[in-house]
Amino acid sequence: MTTHPAPSTVDQTVRAVLKDVLALDADRVAAFDDDTALFGALPELDSMAVAGVLTEIEDRLHILIEDDEVDGEMLESFGALRRFAEAKVGAKKGT
Amino acid sequence: MIRFGPATGPVVVAVLPLLEEANRTRTFVSGMLRRLAARDIASALPDLPGQGESLVPTENAMLAGWRTALASAAMEAAGERPVHILSFRGGALLDHDVKAASRWQLAPAKGEALVRELLRTSAAAGARIDIDLGNYNDEGGPVTIAGNALSRTLLRDLNAADCVREGAVRVVRLDTDPAVADRKVAGAPLWRQSEPGDDSALADLLADDIADWIARCAN
Repeated sequence: MTTHPAPSTVDQTVRAVLKDVLALDADRVAAFDDDTALFGALPELDSMAVAGVLTEIEDRLHILIEDDEVDGEMLESFGALRRFAEAKVGAKKGT
Repeated sequence: MIRFGPATGPVVVAVLPLLEEANRTRTFVSGMLRRLAARDIASALPDLPGQGESLVPTENAMLAGWRTALASAAMEAAGERPVHILSFRGGALLDHDVKAASRWQLAPAKGEALVRELLRTSAAAGARIDIDLGNYNDEGGPVTIAGNALSRTLLRDLNAADCVREGAVRVVRLDTDPAVADRKVAGAPLWRQSEPGDDSALADLLADDIADWIARCAN
């Protein structure tokens, strides 16, 4: 059985960004779980789209992502991207 | 330069976003201008040097050149008629030299944010660009980002550029954008989508907003 994490605003924001920037179907994005593979698996998410997705996440969550933090791992799956964004938002609140 | 609408009254001069974002939004912006024409408002959509149909190589594009070209395109389009600037994203960095009755901006972007996104695009494609954005003595050659050759001077000037905020300015943003705006509207950021898209509901709503704004500015 797949786990269903409690929906957070970060979770919703990351989903909305993927839907809006990659022009994905809303139902398809709503069905993403932590294991859904992104970079390399979603043809819509090419290297140009990566910059758009990350910048849109930055704008909507008011966070700053350093270029050296951008690696294949954080974009590997929906769960990895959501956790990365949640950590960034948490770090911002902590300061 | 594409023109729409009547031969009298104010002229809306539309300024597309910069570089790749212009290609993604051209259809949407042209659609908005057609809707303004249906509301009896004239408009013009100029091509700036190194953009659209221009024959100037992109690596020769400069911020000051874009501003001058836009000012002369606005004069050519409007003559003695009042000009209202309609700018999108980084297009709002270019209208400083235009004598405009008002400025209406959709999701205006700071140059710094645009340059950061450009450099990130390149880094994500595995071609990290080595540039010191504060060093004007760096005479290195143009850099290629997503197929566009851009001069280092352009990136530096853009990085320091901001929008006009004086005079009659109305800022509209998407409701997902937390930045300050006079109005927030629902919609997806078409300028970030790799496939050029359109949104006719948003174009209708914005055309109404612009028509109202221009009518208010005339009073």
